[in-house]
Amino acid sequence: MRCERGRRRQGAVCGAVLCAAVIAACGSGSGSHSGTGTSSGSQGAATSVGTPVNGGTLQAGMAADPDHLDPGLGYTNESWEIEEATNNGLLAYKRASGVTGAQIVPDLATAMPTVSDHGLTYTFHMRTGVRFSPPVNRAVEPSDIKFSIERLFRINSGGESFYTGIVGAAHYAKTRRGGISGIVADDRTHTIVFHLTKPDGTFPNYLAIPFSFALPKGTPNSDISTNSKWRVATGPYMISSYVPRQSITLVRNTNFHQWSSATPNGHLDKIDVTIGVTADQAVNEIADGQLEWYFEAVAPDRLAQIKAQYPSRLYTFNPEEVWFFTLNTRRPPFNNVLVRQAVNYATSRAALVKIFGGQGAASESIVPKGIGGYVSTDFYPYDPAKAKQLVARSHTKGMAVTVWGADFDPIPQAVQYMASVLDSLGYKASVKTLNAGVYYDTMAAEKTDPQISWNNWGEDFPDAEDFIDTQLNGENITNVGNNDMSNLDVPQINHAIDAARLMRVGPARTAAWERINTEISTKQAPMVVYMDSLLPKFVSPRLHGLVFNGTYYELLPEMWLSK
Amino acid sequence: MTVQAPDLPALNTRGLSSSGVGASGWRLAWRRLRRNRAAMTGGIIFLLILFCCFPGAPLWVHFAAHRGPEVQNLTGTIMAGGHRVPVVSAGGTPIGPGLRGQYLLGADSNGRDLFVRVLYGGRISLLVGIASSALCTILALLLAIPAGYRGGAVDRGVSGILDLIWSFPVYLLMVAISASLMVSGMNLGPIHLSSSSLLIPIVVIAVVMIPYVARPIRGEVLALREREFVEAAIAHGAGPLRVMMREILPNVMGTTLVMFTLIIANNILTLAGLSFLGVGVSLLTPEWGNIIQAGFSQIVTSPMQTIAPGVAILLTSVALNVFGDGLRDALDPHGSGRTGA
Repeated sequence: MRCERGRRRQGAVCGAVLCAAVIAACGSGSGSHSGTGTSSGSQGAATSVGTPVNGGTLQAGMAADPDHLDPGLGYTNESWEIEEATNNGLLAYKRASGVTGAQIVPDLATAMPTVSDHGLTYTFHMRTGVRFSPPVNRAVEPSDIKFSIERLFRINSGGESFYTGIVGAAHYAKTRRGGISGIVADDRTHTIVFHLTKPDGTFPNYLAIPFSFALPKGTPNSDISTNSKWRVATGPYMISSYVPRQSITLVRNTNFHQWSSATPNGHLDKIDVTIGVTADQAVNEIADGQLEWYFEAVAPDRLAQIKAQYPSRLYTFNPEEVWFFTLNTRRPPFNNVLVRQAVNYATSRAALVKIFGGQGAASESIVPKGIGGYVSTDFYPYDPAKAKQLVARSHTKGMAVTVWGADFDPIPQAVQYMASVLDSLGYKASVKTLNAGVYYDTMAAEKTDPQISWNNWGEDFPDAEDFIDTQLNGENITNVGNNDMSNLDVPQINHAIDAARLMRVGPARTAAWERINTEISTKQAPMVVYMDSLLPKFVSPRLHGLVFNGTYYELLPEMWLSK
Repeated sequence: MTVQAPDLPALNTRGLSSSGVGASGWRLAWRRLRRNRAAMTGGIIFLLILFCCFPGAPLWVHFAAHRGPEVQNLTGTIMAGGHRVPVVSAGGTPIGPGLRGQYLLGADSNGRDLFVRVLYGGRISLLVGIASSALCTILALLLAIPAGYRGGAVDRGVSGILDLIWSFPVYLLMVAISASLMVSGMNLGPIHLSSSSLLIPIVVIAVVMIPYVARPIRGEVLALREREFVEAAIAHGAGPLRVMMREILPNVMGTTLVMFTLIIANNILTLAGLSFLGVGVSLLTPEWGNIIQAGFSQIVTSPMQTIAPGVAILLTSVALNVFGDGLRDALDPHGSGRTGA
């Protein structure tokens, strides 16, 4: 997953029982922190000062538009944070922080699925009485879930590859006709059955992420972010207004009633999000009391000031997110592994971490620390001389290279740094930046095919597969919404990834991912990984109930405002 | 044939050289300009800025800063106040200004010397400002003189084009054109410009500003074509082209020169605005606007990144405007709205 700090990545299949896989693989989530004061760098911090108070309007800020407010398309932290509050799927990650937040629980389903047929069939019973918000205003049915998943293929969603393991999905992806035969929805009995092509212990993950959240049958095959007729909700909140580049307003969903403790009612009456608030502006406005919360991290250069002046209002979360530059293995000069290795040797991770205000730890591992598969080895110690030797051997010196980045700070500075690295190696570097709202979609389109682009990835679920499979398994390359932006497609590595996915969670699986991580990093170098990021948040003293979930980030329904 | 203003005999008297020959209008204008201290100060300041940015910049780099505008130094240190300090702190805050050759105004968030970047940034700002003004002026003359002189369908056609350009909000039009050209460059027949080419902002600004220069010139041409010397030229058999080149053009040069000077300042500001919005020059090329834009996120902890280029823009604009006003007064001392000669 990526967000306007980063975008989510679509994970792939993990081979064992989901809950065990998630719990066993989740390394660092050391749980919750209560009370005031800065939290230390671990997933989840629940501010639990006093008793939650219902009511009030949260004034929030956001740097740029979320990529989409369409659950079928949204693939950034910002969009998932909102969609978690507005929509529901058969399953959900437990609305909690730390390791607890990695557990999967029933949501629209009455219970966890019945798995049969040697792991090939998942049967769910759906709740009755859950209704879509106005103007659709009708009960949610199993056929809506089937429709929502099929729609992903019709709209070239970045999440469609999660569901290609369903019988008939691959055929439907090509023909777009006839529906996905492996999803059998019976509205009479309120059941929905998924038939898989092969056993997949991680399949329930994909029914807990927003791509599979229920949308009503008839939703157009186009982005419904600004289409209020179809942008409906099933959760405690609904989007009453979205004005691109200006604001998003969430209000209580009048059709919502809490059906389980796993689906909270929400404390706030309204959430007003102002779009276009820079990180620096957010710090000023939160300090002044004009804003209560900001979607993105604290402005890097204000961190020291906030730590000194407002220590009790600063929270640092670990989003299990890696930041990197993607090198396109199909385009010169990066189709030459010597060049990719050279760029890695010539890049100072310490310099890049400074650009990001020290909000993270230098790292070269594709998998973040705290997730099985992480490797702490310094694969490419800073060595500009060696880098130049590799470039000389590649005979590519002097080529023009364009470095792409998003336009929110400090990405332009990071992109300029990378351009200077390339210049130092003898290339002619230029930079291009795009608005964050269109950046990821543009980079993920094969038509763009950037040579080198800034990127980041946060966990969808805590397993190395989520980081390695879709980003580096050549079998997942697509023309639109492509997450393997390096276009790495090495059959041997693809097979190794496929094999690791099917392994049971445990030391052997972890060791397999570590080997793959090392092999890719040393032999292929498709990325210049530079940082395991942290997420510092500066909030209003009135804001409480900050629960950080590794998949959904801060949970809006848990937040409350003291009077 | 140059037009003599009605009160020129008086001026001629004052302008008599020792040989008794009358002074030309240009010489008289220069004398008036020289007596305008504010204008001369503005002109000198502008020349100083030109000197600092062009020959001055590499001299400063060579003798004092020892690093160019694009040299990044994120992990380096310098001596400041007797201590060795990082150029960029661990928290990403760059060093501030100090009395030293290196990092005189401090550094930016990539560890680049801010003063050096402001000097080199001035080159781009001035180059684009002057070039776009020149191009705009030439295009405006090419459109305004025929339109004003011929009238009729020619005038209607040209005026329609100018109105069309003028109907768009200036910045909106520039941002839209720049943004699209910056992604893929410009391919117009045999003309291929890369997206990072300086010709793109030069052309965009020049084209959008044409109406602001062409309209005043056209108005002046409309007045001039009714003058006796024009009729006399026509009576002597001069064709339209000859009349426009020999009679009209020299007489609008005063206005043209003033407009040219004034829109340089405007175009420098425009370029800075476009760069600040991210659709001006490439990020890697230092320019006053994108230096401000890069430093904007650190305006609280490192304000010099926005103050320094901002002051440079201010000084340049004010100097040019004051000089331009003085030039206008010198060339047209009896212009409407003035009191006294």
